[in-house]
Amino acid sequence: MNVIECKDVTKNYKRKKALNSISFQIEENKITGLVGRNGAGKTTLLKIIAGYMKEDSGELQVFGESPFNNLMASANTIFIHDQMEFSPALNLKEIFEAAENFYEKWDRERSFRLLHYFSLDPKQYYKRLSKGMKSTFNMIFGLSANCTLTIFDEPTTGMDAAVRKDFYRALLKDYLDNPRTIILSSHHLNEIEDLIEDLLLIKDGKELLYMPIADLKEWAIAVIGKSNVVNEWIGNKEMIHSKDMVQDQVYVVVRNDFSKVELEKAYKAGIKFSPVSSTDLCVYLTSKTKGGIDDVFS
Amino acid sequence: MFPNFDGTKPIYLQISEWLETEILNGNFEGDQKIYSQYQLAEILNINPATAAKGLNILAEESILYKKRGLGMFVSKAAKEMILNKRKNQKLKQLIIEIVLEAKRLNVSKVELIQMIMEEENE
Repeated sequence: MNVIECKDVTKNYKRKKALNSISFQIEENKITGLVGRNGAGKTTLLKIIAGYMKEDSGELQVFGESPFNNLMASANTIFIHDQMEFSPALNLKEIFEAAENFYEKWDRERSFRLLHYFSLDPKQYYKRLSKGMKSTFNMIFGLSANCTLTIFDEPTTGMDAAVRKDFYRALLKDYLDNPRTIILSSHHLNEIEDLIEDLLLIKDGKELLYMPIADLKEWAIAVIGKSNVVNEWIGNKEMIHSKDMVQDQVYVVVRNDFSKVELEKAYKAGIKFSPVSSTDLCVYLTSKTKGGIDDVFS
Repeated sequence: MFPNFDGTKPIYLQISEWLETEILNGNFEGDQKIYSQYQLAEILNINPATAAKGLNILAEESILYKKRGLGMFVSKAAKEMILNKRKNQKLKQLIIEIVLEAKRLNVSKVELIQMIMEEENE
């Protein structure tokens, strides 16, 4: 079953196109990583999924309904982001008690155990927390709500390395206990790549790549060798990234869909191959120019 | 002990290789139940779907077999299959590389064989 169906969704802000006809479906009980550069449209997309905003055109459905102004969708969705607001009149314990009335599957025991583990005082007020502690509290709130659709937008901003590690571990353990649909957005693919099942990479408000993360590492490959030899061998394939190295050598990233004959030919010509890490590949795919920052200085 | 994911190879392949090594080392015997995808997810801190993929590779190669509702078990001939596989794939690949490198360095066939024999005698 698909929890989210997104078809040709477009959203414009005053001077900028935030989403540009984006389409994808997210299946039930999967952890999906949403990755893209700043300004790629990640937060806009998540806000529409969570029902905070309405798309300009196209169609977005969550649990088979439009999430905007929809009580069923909002009772079953939790959206954690760094601009969360909680009532200034309530302390952390009281915030949890209020949440328990709204979220049917709220896990009270786990919420307080997590609060204790991360040394947050239940009597404290949210606005008095430091930035990192706010993120930690938001994360606990998101996990405890136990919602069918759980969305974390850049959840680890401001957290120190130890809390970050604990968060990902907590998320995984919680997911193993209660499988549910989770969307996790991050700039740091390397942090989440072991945790997610699918990767949705977006660029300029459009989906660029949507595949199981397991397949990503075999999707592209780096080719290294003398520039004329490499260029001849690549032919008219699209270069995802290319970089000049010392002594007329080049490093070129291309799709990994060569035939066995082509590969043997390359070996004989002295061309070397090297795997590309998921993080690097995403940077190459989402960069504006093929050579990255080097192009500015050339 | 646990695999250190090296970032370049797909994780599910590293998992299946790690499980193979566990079987080779005798940590799992024939007909013994192997870790479930959820146990692997928990132990290695990875998505359970990725863990399942690692297990399925071994099931496809009949190194593991499925018992409906009970999980995955190690085949009786698993150890032998893994040894054969490594011999035919890993060792062969290494030899291809050695031969290529020898050509590049102008090392003759006789010289190369001699080097291998010397290494073995040490």
